[in-house]
Amino acid sequence: MAFLLRRLAFYLAAFLVAATINFFLPRLMPGDPIQIMFASAGSELSLENLNALKLTFGFIDAPLHEQYFAYLQSVFTGDLGRSIKYFPLPVTELLGRALVWTVGLMGIATVIAFTLGSLLGVFAAWRRGRLIDSVISLTAIFSSSVPAVVVSLIMLFVFGYTLGWFPNGYAADPLIDPAWNWEYISSVLYHGTLPMVTLVFVLMGGFAVTMRNNMINLLGEDYIVMARAKGLSDNNVMLWYAARNALLPTVSSLAIAIGTVLGGSLVTEVVFNYPGLGNTLYQAIIARDYPVIQGQLLIMTAAMLISNFVVDLSYVLLDPRLKKA
Amino acid sequence: MSQPVLSVRNLNIDYVGAEGDFHAVKNVSFDIAPGEFFGLAGESGCGKSTIAFAISRLHRPPALIRTGSVIAVNGRNVLELDDADLRRFRWREVAMVFQSAMNSLNPVLTIEAQFYDVLKAHGPISRAAARERAAELLKLVDIAPDRLDAFPHQCSGGMRQRIVIAICLALNPKLLIMDEPTTALDVVVQREILQRIDVLRKKLGFSVLFITHDLGLMVQVSDRIGIMLEGELVEVNDAQTIYRQPQHAYTKRLWASMPKLRGEQTRLEAAP
Amino acid sequence: MKLFAQLLQNKKAMTGLVILTVIILVAIFAPLLTEYSPVKRVGRPHQAPSWDHWMGTTRLGHDVFSRLVHGARVSLAVGFGAGLLITLIGTVLGIIAGYKGGVVDEVINFFTNMVLVVPNLPLLLVLAAFIGQASPLVIAIILGLTSWAWGVRVTRSETLSIRQRDFVKSAEMLGEPGWRIMLFEIFPNLISIVGINFIGSVIFAVITEATLEFLGLGDPNTVSWGIMLYNAQNAAALAVGAWWDILAPCFALAFLGLGLALINFAIDEIANPRLRTGGMLNRWTRMVRLGEGKL
Repeated sequence: MAFLLRRLAFYLAAFLVAATINFFLPRLMPGDPIQIMFASAGSELSLENLNALKLTFGFIDAPLHEQYFAYLQSVFTGDLGRSIKYFPLPVTELLGRALVWTVGLMGIATVIAFTLGSLLGVFAAWRRGRLIDSVISLTAIFSSSVPAVVVSLIMLFVFGYTLGWFPNGYAADPLIDPAWNWEYISSVLYHGTLPMVTLVFVLMGGFAVTMRNNMINLLGEDYIVMARAKGLSDNNVMLWYAARNALLPTVSSLAIAIGTVLGGSLVTEVVFNYPGLGNTLYQAIIARDYPVIQGQLLIMTAAMLISNFVVDLSYVLLDPRLKKA
Repeated sequence: MSQPVLSVRNLNIDYVGAEGDFHAVKNVSFDIAPGEFFGLAGESGCGKSTIAFAISRLHRPPALIRTGSVIAVNGRNVLELDDADLRRFRWREVAMVFQSAMNSLNPVLTIEAQFYDVLKAHGPISRAAARERAAELLKLVDIAPDRLDAFPHQCSGGMRQRIVIAICLALNPKLLIMDEPTTALDVVVQREILQRIDVLRKKLGFSVLFITHDLGLMVQVSDRIGIMLEGELVEVNDAQTIYRQPQHAYTKRLWASMPKLRGEQTRLEAAP
Repeated sequence: MKLFAQLLQNKKAMTGLVILTVIILVAIFAPLLTEYSPVKRVGRPHQAPSWDHWMGTTRLGHDVFSRLVHGARVSLAVGFGAGLLITLIGTVLGIIAGYKGGVVDEVINFFTNMVLVVPNLPLLLVLAAFIGQASPLVIAIILGLTSWAWGVRVTRSETLSIRQRDFVKSAEMLGEPGWRIMLFEIFPNLISIVGINFIGSVIFAVITEATLEFLGLGDPNTVSWGIMLYNAQNAAALAVGAWWDILAPCFALAFLGLGLALINFAIDEIANPRLRTGGMLNRWTRMVRLGEGKL
């Protein structure tokens, strides 16, 4: 419990860092920060609306620290301002809609990639130096070194445009009304396949390499040798003795990998025109819609911290040494 | 004499390298009789652990047991067993305590699970019956049955050592190999463990292959002793003979380097 | 130097080095490899690959091959420049934290962990968005300043174990100053970790630069692989069937990434003998097949 509480406090501090970056960035840029932040609005914003926005972002007639607290107050009360491109849509609402798609895509892809990658790493390590090890290792190296944008574009070219097996964009057929029926769900699955496969491929390699290295480092441990001496089956030793222990460091590397997952899913969404956070952000970047750009940093940081906390939790469950005796 | 529990003949083991091989064990032959406590001594790196691993065929590449070697346990050549037979043979006939017995237990499984998996691997047994058997075995090494639900990190080093020994006895093996099992423990615990093994040996009738570089300890507990030097078994004899009348020059040097057990103590005077 | 000699004996490393060398040579001799300027209109828009334009032309009528070979310069420069900066910061902070311990360690470690949990790409996007159209140099600098945390973490933990070793203790006993110990006793033992960190950072920088530019945060007048992707995407190259426009930079990036990753994997194998497979296992397998022995 103390462990988890410490982590929680730490995450809160990390979130504060992201908010602080958001606060200082426009103020550190040369020129008038208010001008910079709301430049893309031009003269369309009424004075009243502009003042409300200024207040949200802490642009008040007060010393810097009071501005800072004003901004933090907005952030912690869930007010991230309004999108300038889609005025008066609140940033939280805009990003919230997109978040659903991203979390779905990313979450499922991460689970598949982690499971598949770890299993491949386990097999490679267990048959070290044999053919299957070389094949898995080389595939893993390739998958972990190619940018997500490249994999996405090639996938889109091959399976979208050339073979025509999968659609080239959107989360579902725009002609079908969103509803909990098979027609809509199957359309979502169909549209999600290519981005999903792309993400799984991009993420899998890293997990496989990590798992393989952790496994190989463990194979010399006495408890592995003893498990074999006990006459346990190969599968039993491989999974319950070697892989089960190698999983611990792999899970902790998962926490760091989530940043990469986020990055990968951002570009994948842009390439496949998938209506998630990445695409929303892309549109915001083009329009220089700074409230949205800043809001995504906070949302992404929060997503990352929550994922990290989930990893912490599962770590506690996986490692009996962390449980209270 | 009855059939030996372990009979090693012309055992050659190499570690294969990219260019040449390292001959770790050279043409070694010896026997261990039923109920016998056999000691194998020598410096670290002389090949004694390599022999121990070969008996249960635990080696991994690049180790290579050369063709022509024979390791017979109860008359059956272990090197000719197929995978399934090898699994059945392991632990049922030869159990082993490893160098760092403290790290021999899987840190993420409870003690009970580590009894259960070996019992289940060697015959149908219910979880409840396995638990009962495990409790019985723990009693042999003076550990309360409530420890079954503990994880290894919740037990002390000496306790883990005794748990490993209890697991070793789970299937009534004919031979117990102890590969420097006490190096990580302090002297008092070491002695206690060995005395316990000796009592159990007499009670249950298994043989022991005891590997160590601690000669004093070995002379005290062993019936017979083999001395190894750079992969070769240079001398085998019963413990008292080999201690009082060493034949090989290396054995003599070994004894000379060892603090005397009885008789006058040679003490180095501290320099003024 | 020993590390380098070992790399030359490793098949993966050799393949990686060959790939990297080819790309470096192409980058250096770019002007000699093509008659076309990478920034001038030299043909009709979106011409398919032909004898005149090996990789076709872009929508603006630029020669794709010329942009590709010239773009290699930017990708390599940003990759290696940012990689160097990331490694430098990571190594220095990691050694100091691991060796000094105490409050210094706690402060560095706290910040490192904090940076590790703020997602990198979103942070870079915000930074780049405020900077506007970031030139490759600016991208390299912000990459260097924001991405060192992983390096600190691994360097620190390795330093912690090295400082317990005898040669460090004896140097301390002899009264050597801290900076000398860190530089001459500890650093040489970290070479492989630093190497892995460096190559890994280069891969990261190459990928991230391309990603930022693809997302429209780079300077569109630069000639780089990321900007090529950006322009091709804006021209809807795939939709109009101009696949060469997009696939050329794609394969270039994949090729560079693969070469670097192979080198990295090889360094890891050499640094950690347990991961090595190599010649002895092949020989072992052959001997077992020949019936010379078994396990």
